[in-house]
Amino acid sequence: MDTELINWTLVVVGQILVAVGVFCDFVAALLMIRFPNFYVRLHALTIGSIGGAVVPAIGAALIAAGSPFLGMYRWFLAGGALVTALFIFILGGAGAHAIARATYRAKAAEYRPCYVDQLAEDRGEVGC
Amino acid sequence: MSFLESWITNFLTITMFFYIASFLLYLVRLFKGPTIPDMILAIDALGYDLAAFLIILSILFKNPVLIPCAIVLTLWIYALDIYVAKYLEAKEMGE
Amino acid sequence: MLGLADLVFIMLGISALLSVPATVLAVLSRDLLKAVILSALQSTMYTLMFFLLMAPDIVLVYVAVSIGFMSLLIILLIKKVGRYEGRLG
Repeated sequence: MDTELINWTLVVVGQILVAVGVFCDFVAALLMIRFPNFYVRLHALTIGSIGGAVVPAIGAALIAAGSPFLGMYRWFLAGGALVTALFIFILGGAGAHAIARATYRAKAAEYRPCYVDQLAEDRGEVGC
Repeated sequence: MSFLESWITNFLTITMFFYIASFLLYLVRLFKGPTIPDMILAIDALGYDLAAFLIILSILFKNPVLIPCAIVLTLWIYALDIYVAKYLEAKEMGE
Repeated sequence: MLGLADLVFIMLGISALLSVPATVLAVLSRDLLKAVILSALQSTMYTLMFFLLMAPDIVLVYVAVSIGFMSLLIILLIKKVGRYEGRLG
């Protein structure tokens, strides 16, 4: 009876996390289409990678830990899901910074509704 | 099939539709993207969300051996990102 | 009510259909860097297909070769020969 209660608690908490992650994922996919230029779309990438991938991975780890029908290998699945969540948490931010820095240096994307560019003003160039 | 198992299976099956819908919306941006960095952003988000989707599918198939695919996919999508960033930056700074 | 096997076949069909325009656009595009990204999209779709066919070992090798090494080699080659394809005839 006790293990039944613990399993249901883990599963319900995991399902809440997965539902939040699916909502963030759908919102990020809509914003990726609606946003006007590249530098604003970085925000949509961060919603999609942190909210849409890390949170459901942790939720899937909790669901896997609380479901005894998967057999003894469910701890393997939970550990793998946690490692994936950790990797996405580190590499998503690092990759977004790398591609943003390269795009700004190489001027590969123009930003059309431009109001202020303080980095260019600090480097002595003309901003906007 | 116990009640817990059918509950989890139904919930994750409903979840799959939203994931597929958001994949199709990312693909719109990838095919339409005006510049190279926009396409990189779209394939980045697509890869990370596909990794989370593979974890959910491996619970749904009741086959925990499928989990290392998600870790490997995450690492190589990051590598593609770094390659294109290095290419774009080397054009300005000289190797 | 759709069973799980039907959903697996539907996802196989969607990913196989989406890999076709990626390949066609990768062949037709003049910008070679764009062709690299589109072929990475085709590899991602094939990854999902191999996963749905329950072949995790093939996924582990295919992702490393097709997203990792092939993109690296082609980008190194583009750095030597230039990014835009010349007009042929």
